[in-house]
Amino acid sequence: MGSVLTNPLRVGLRQERVIPPQCLVIFGASGDLTHRKLIPALFELFRQRRLPSEFAVLGCARRPWSDEEFRQKMAEAMASEVAEHRMAWEQFAAGLFYEPVDLQDPPTVVRLGQRLDMLDRQRATRGNRTFYLSVSPNFYGSGCRALAAAGLLSDPARSRVVIEKPFGRDYGSAQELNRVVQASAQENQIFRIDHYLGKETVQNILVLRFANTIFEPIWNRNYISSVQITAAETVGVEERAGYYESSGALRDMVQNHLTQMLALTTMEAPGRFDPESMRNEKAKVLQAARLANEDEPWKCCVRGQYGPGGSSTRPIAGYRQEPGVNPESTTETYVAMKLFINNWRWQGVPFYLRTGKRLPKRLSEVVLTFREAPVHLFDAASGAPTPNQLILRIQPDEGAEFKFEVKAPGSGMRSRPVDMAFSYDDSFGEPSDEGYVRLLADAMLGDPTLYTRSDEVEAAWRLYTPLLELIEDAPNQLPVYPYEARTWGPGAADSLLAEDGLAWRRP
Amino acid sequence: MSTQLTLQAPLALPPAEVPSYLERLWSQELGSSHGAATFTLVVWEGSWLEQQLVRCGRLNGPITGLLNETVLEAARAAAISCGLPLSTAPMDPQLAWAIGKLGGDHHAEDLRGQFVEGAISAHMPRRLITLAPTLDGGHPLETLVAAYCPLPEEGSGGDACGDVVVLRGGTGALRQSLELVQPLISPDLPCWVWWNSSLDEAPEVMATLASGHRRLVVDSSLGDPRRCLDLLVDRIDAGQPINDLNWLRLRSWRESLAMVFDPPSRRDALNHVVQLDLDVEGSNPVKGLLLAAWLADRLGWHLISTYPVDGDGAGQGIGAEFERTDGETVRFRQMPVPVGVPKTHPGAMVGLRLICQSSQGSPLCVILCSESGGCMRLESGGMASMELAEEVVPLPNESEEMEMARLLSGGHDSTNPLLAAAAPLAAKLLP
Repeated sequence: MGSVLTNPLRVGLRQERVIPPQCLVIFGASGDLTHRKLIPALFELFRQRRLPSEFAVLGCARRPWSDEEFRQKMAEAMASEVAEHRMAWEQFAAGLFYEPVDLQDPPTVVRLGQRLDMLDRQRATRGNRTFYLSVSPNFYGSGCRALAAAGLLSDPARSRVVIEKPFGRDYGSAQELNRVVQASAQENQIFRIDHYLGKETVQNILVLRFANTIFEPIWNRNYISSVQITAAETVGVEERAGYYESSGALRDMVQNHLTQMLALTTMEAPGRFDPESMRNEKAKVLQAARLANEDEPWKCCVRGQYGPGGSSTRPIAGYRQEPGVNPESTTETYVAMKLFINNWRWQGVPFYLRTGKRLPKRLSEVVLTFREAPVHLFDAASGAPTPNQLILRIQPDEGAEFKFEVKAPGSGMRSRPVDMAFSYDDSFGEPSDEGYVRLLADAMLGDPTLYTRSDEVEAAWRLYTPLLELIEDAPNQLPVYPYEARTWGPGAADSLLAEDGLAWRRP
Repeated sequence: MSTQLTLQAPLALPPAEVPSYLERLWSQELGSSHGAATFTLVVWEGSWLEQQLVRCGRLNGPITGLLNETVLEAARAAAISCGLPLSTAPMDPQLAWAIGKLGGDHHAEDLRGQFVEGAISAHMPRRLITLAPTLDGGHPLETLVAAYCPLPEEGSGGDACGDVVVLRGGTGALRQSLELVQPLISPDLPCWVWWNSSLDEAPEVMATLASGHRRLVVDSSLGDPRRCLDLLVDRIDAGQPINDLNWLRLRSWRESLAMVFDPPSRRDALNHVVQLDLDVEGSNPVKGLLLAAWLADRLGWHLISTYPVDGDGAGQGIGAEFERTDGETVRFRQMPVPVGVPKTHPGAMVGLRLICQSSQGSPLCVILCSESGGCMRLESGGMASMELAEEVVPLPNESEEMEMARLLSGGHDSTNPLLAAAAPLAAKLLP
């Protein structure tokens, strides 16, 4: 959201749920994510007084740091925030601790348990523990096993484990990982992150749909002709080449973020707003989702890879020229695809998903296009009447827009499209929490609403399995088309919609 | 969550045997566990209203210390019998005092300290100590002790258990029992002291129980307004943590007013406030003053003067002049208004009117009305030329126990900065 002056009456007033006393244990605490995202998010929660006094953070990694070294390293990584809020930082840092732990080495995990018991008594954290696995995905399963073996997940009411994405690489590996994780803890103790679910505007999809009467009656195949879901990035692979080369856009963005937006847009209304009811509905709709052509999946999916672009004064390197990328790489940085959802509500409505790096704009949106009026009574000023559209802007310029036809001024009865817009900035002007602040708070609250469940994850992987198998076994059938950096992707992606007489929305 | 009883019938013991009994309980009967590493909760449970209603036969027992609808209905009926104004809140200490003059000598079982609200027990207090003063000032000290395990047995063992200690007697006997109570409060765990009674009574007991950094929880609607506000200020000045349930009940008013100014297009109006009017139920001004002080603090106003204002038969109001950061004056009025059905606690908010007048654009008038009351007085007065923003403020529907549970669930060892800033100003506003 844009930067606006804070409402002085809103300061200190967040009507947020109170995080209970607990110890947050971060595995992989010497890594990037901890000092870039997790500790800053926790510090923000502390400054908002949303962390109780009885709280501790225990960083764990193999490095033989002391408590003081850990505090020092976090302070260095957050130098500017620390300088701005020196006193708050000193109070916060007094609750940071460190324990050298190797999850593959059981004695160190036992020692971890003893340290946690000590911290419980020292900080009165009531035996509540949240374990955050900020480690390589290869260690998610073994990490959960190690925690369970040490008895650290035995109390389902007071222990939970948070797992970063990706959860598996495909359906089989996701199933296997679920088996391992569920053997270590109950499902309600497992929090699988999807960062998009932490965004206010993604959550607003639910509120818009289910807090208003007017949308639900038309939110179906009888009124909606197609849906486009876009997550566009302007950045390239940056420093993530090591991970991205083996992942690609399909695993990095489509399987999780776009699929979550798809689920929230298409799910049935839950009976009540509780985590299980919500997740039941999401899993159901994902189980009904299918590639538009499962027998010939190459016909409903286009992959692309950005090449050089930019201008002569500001050239942009192509993906294969990025540091750490194989010069012969066939990893896709762009994916577009067509899906259907085979249920009563959505049968026959095409869903077009696209995501890519080095596109012209950074934006995420869900666009619902409505069927045309059965009879065109009026001439359109633009030649043909524009179908009604509801555009949910996830980022930036968060809000929603409804496009509809009105009478154009002047004599005669010609119609033209106009927008009715809602903007978070204009209505609230309050910057919402950065994703990790919200996600961490919810995990520590034990609220799984913004986290994915095992069946959702498996359904999402199963949906894209035909494509993943094709990429693995017959990549030539799903070639990677080049596109110039800062363009809207390869021409083949336009053909995907042109076959249906449609075009991608140009935001 | 339903209220829960203790695990076993509490054992009556001579006071001197309590420490050794507890020692035995933990070393032998609860498997040498240390118990829940959570907190100690000490409650001064006056329950004078309930005790008096039972004594004069207007309420059947037992006496539990819980303020339920039966107690409130009996209190409202008694207010009429005692000839008090209709707008007397059930929890107004003068009501309990007036009922005390009614005849009667009924008795009922006293179970104070033995009924634990489920929301509180879910936090697994390590020790719950209740001091239950009796109507009979000469009543000797009685002590009761029991173990308490609020969670199911799965996975928790003795680490979820705590104990309950009840001390019951006349105020004098309880004062003397403080020597027994202090060692029962572990220095290794946070300690909350909930003064669930008027702030006018037994100040020396409160001072002893809530010494040092123990987290005091009070209700500034109960007691003499000056004493209540001074207590808040003294604790804040001394750096001793204090929470005020009266302040917490203002949550929806603060939120509703903040919401009005969330749209950035309205923010500038906050710099041009010229008038603030508050209506409160009855004659207790504390809650309204805390709200006004919060607003003044947030907007950087400086208090110039404060003075009593004559009401229209409903009691005296409070007037004040503030100076804005740009030097302009803000006029403040808080008036008591009579209501047909008063809220539970004295001094509840009825309405708020804020008028903002800048040199550009039409003036803005913000009116907030309590969900259960009318704002006719604030709505009158020729505001047709103003942009009007009117909101209804939802009634809080949480009991004291639920509010207390919320504090226990994620409390702090320091006073909320908003309260710390507002309380001193509210104290200055009181003429």
